[in-house]
Amino acid sequence: MKADGGIEGSTDSIESLRQDVRAWLRKNVPAGWRDAMTNVGQDSFVALQKDWFEKLSQAGYATPHWPEGWLGGGRSLAEQKVIFEEVARADAPRLILYFVALYHAACTLFECGTDQQREKYLQGILKGEIWCQGFSEPNAGSDLASLRTRAERRGDRYIINGQKIWSTMAQYADYCLLLARTDNSGPPQAGLTYLLLDMKAKGVSVRPISQITGDDEFAEIFFDDVEVPVVDRVGAEGEGWAVAQATLASERGLTLVELTQRMRYALPMLVNTMRERGCQDDPVVHRDLGNLIVNVDAACALADQYLMKRISGTEEVGDASIVKLCYAKTLREFSALGVRVSGLAGQYYSGFMRGATQETGNWTLDFMNSYNWSIAGGSNEIQRNIIAERMLGMPREPKGWQLAEGKA
Amino acid sequence: MSVELTELQDSARRVLDGAGLAAAEEAIWAQIVELGWLLVAVPEALGGLEAGIPGASTMHAELGRRLSTAPYLPAMLAVDAICQSDLVERDSWLERLVGGELITASLAECGIRANGNRLDGTSIGVQSADSASHILVWTACNDVVALVALDQQGVEIVARPTWDQTRRLFDVRLASVDLADQTILAEGADAGVLIQRLLAQRDFALAADAIGGASALLDLTVEHLQTRVQFKRPLAMFQALKHRCADMKASIAAAEAMLADGLRRVGDSLDSADARHKSMGAKLLATSTFARVAEDCLQLHGGIGMADEHPCHLFLKRSLLSEQLSGSANAYAAELALGLLANTK
Ligand SMILES: Cc1cc2nc3c(=O)[nH]c(=O)nc-3n(C[C@H](O)[C@H](O)[C@H](O)COP(=O)(O)OP(=O)(O)OC[C@H]3O[C@@H](n4cnc5c(N)ncnc54)[C@H](O)[C@@H]3O)c2cc1C
Repeated sequence: MKADGGIEGSTDSIESLRQDVRAWLRKNVPAGWRDAMTNVGQDSFVALQKDWFEKLSQAGYATPHWPEGWLGGGRSLAEQKVIFEEVARADAPRLILYFVALYHAACTLFECGTDQQREKYLQGILKGEIWCQGFSEPNAGSDLASLRTRAERRGDRYIINGQKIWSTMAQYADYCLLLARTDNSGPPQAGLTYLLLDMKAKGVSVRPISQITGDDEFAEIFFDDVEVPVVDRVGAEGEGWAVAQATLASERGLTLVELTQRMRYALPMLVNTMRERGCQDDPVVHRDLGNLIVNVDAACALADQYLMKRISGTEEVGDASIVKLCYAKTLREFSALGVRVSGLAGQYYSGFMRGATQETGNWTLDFMNSYNWSIAGGSNEIQRNIIAERMLGMPREPKGWQLAEGKA
Repeated sequence: MSVELTELQDSARRVLDGAGLAAAEEAIWAQIVELGWLLVAVPEALGGLEAGIPGASTMHAELGRRLSTAPYLPAMLAVDAICQSDLVERDSWLERLVGGELITASLAECGIRANGNRLDGTSIGVQSADSASHILVWTACNDVVALVALDQQGVEIVARPTWDQTRRLFDVRLASVDLADQTILAEGADAGVLIQRLLAQRDFALAADAIGGASALLDLTVEHLQTRVQFKRPLAMFQALKHRCADMKASIAAAEAMLADGLRRVGDSLDSADARHKSMGAKLLATSTFARVAEDCLQLHGGIGMADEHPCHLFLKRSLLSEQLSGSANAYAAELALGLLANTK
């Protein structure tokens, strides 16, 4: 990232980048990809994602957030923002199969990895290797630090036993960002260690979870005496919690700029549904739509402002929670209005679109998918706790509650 | 924010905190005049601070925080309209205003028509009209912007008491007022442009005022929850209440970001269609956020919130009025929706 990269950048060069990206996207976004992804099998989804990843990464537009020296990297934040805005504007497919690789894995390795790890794994990512994130467990969701998957040191390896859940795209993944427990003696956060795990290693098995939408984007992962070499540890033993924070932070900032912009560009989809349903003159719908428009605009403004704060180093505790909470709530309102407007027609099953963006115009599906953002990555309630406790200074709940003997 | 603006904001906060919530109108107005706050957006060439609408917005937010009773908003519209005009006596008008003479304006519908060379109609929601020398009027057909003296034949001022105790509104009725005797600031197409500019400013100002009010009320409420003890713990420890405060904090932040973004994008082109659109959006979101925040904050205060001696109700009443000022929340929502419909092929 260039140090001089203010959010506005030099207006001329930014504008010419915008024109370049726009022209490139016009030529390259796969025409009709939404239709091509509707009611098809997984193979077609994977094929489209691979194809789009290759094109986008060759053009350097998949990795503008990587540092100088890497393909596509070294862009100022202002330039990155332009690329994301244009991708949103062009309604290009989202690279969800590669999301964890391009963001979570890459940002973690840039921030906390060794040179050898960067060389090996980042080159792999550019060649199309897929990553998943193995943090959550059946009994460790919001309370992530309570996770129990064991990593036991034996010589130059760790031996992994346990289970992860809700791991997005794990069924396709080559590698896993694994957070495991190496020590039980201290406070829960202290005993965690961060490892890079080969999903093809002996003892790994994956079971896709079918979702309420019909898709199966996430999976369970089981580890049965899986060996991970110590060189694949990121950070020191027992310091995995801090590394995991770097992973989670990578979702913020630019991703929310892209997502909020996509939501704004999708507003006309609501208008189309209103027309299809003949309620384009209904004043009640106008009122709901008008109120939604300002909330969408505000979410965009918040995401922009947050990025500016990160650039200028003025980010404060809780800022990220506000952006994510507002986005998640607005996305829910957006899709809920779609459901209301589409009436009974929206309740007839019309299949689902794989690897869709959050907005497809299949409103009941979109409504269900909007929970992605209110549950994953720190639920709305967890964000509210952070805002109340760390921004407003309201007290935490008293500790000392004990589960009854024999529970959990 | 520029250094000067930050300093201005700090000093405004000090002065207004000293004066207290909903302080007496004359006292606040005297401070505003004395400290030169009417000059915030005036160009340097005319002796102002040239902090533009963002500067004015900062002041509106500070005044909103303290439930200001002074007619700063309409006065700022008059100042801007005079600066934009090419009146020969522009400087002397500015001097009079800066010296404390009040020219007010409508915060709602300025229902004045020009019939030939006569002005007729009723301008509603005119703030502090009884202490003003003139009213800034613009006509419904967008063809005239003028200053009309209030102490002349054909002008009647009627007080319209509101639930909001922090602003005093009046109807100003004009009956056959001779246009030729008034101070005309713009006519024809120029008037249309100036009116757009004034309406955008008015909405941005109401938005800033509402954001100030909402943030101050949330602070007050969190403080109340921190100190009020029930069930042997501060109410602020109950998650049900914490989450409501967090939601309010997030909505206020969103409205604030939207206002800042609107001001930044609009820049100097306040008379553009885009400025109108952005100012309406900012006004709609900020005033409805304020009203929802005020609604919830009263609930979180419990019985004390229903007591007249507690300031909670002052915020609530101000927020309810603000939601209806300028264009009502419902009307603006509908207008923004129709805009999107028209732009979607
Ligand atoms: C689409 C999707 C993709 C995901 N992808 C991944 C992935 O790739 N890798 C991965 O590791 N994980 C992933 N997750 C898991 C995600 O991180 C967890 O679902 C999340 O942390 C919530 O945990 P949980 O599901 O166990 O819910 P729980 O923690 O059991 O929460 C249940 C409810 O209780 C509320 N709650 C919990 N604690 C509190 C509290 N202290 N105060 C108030 N309310 C509370 C929650 O907000 C929620 O409403 C994904 C989840 C989804 C939905």
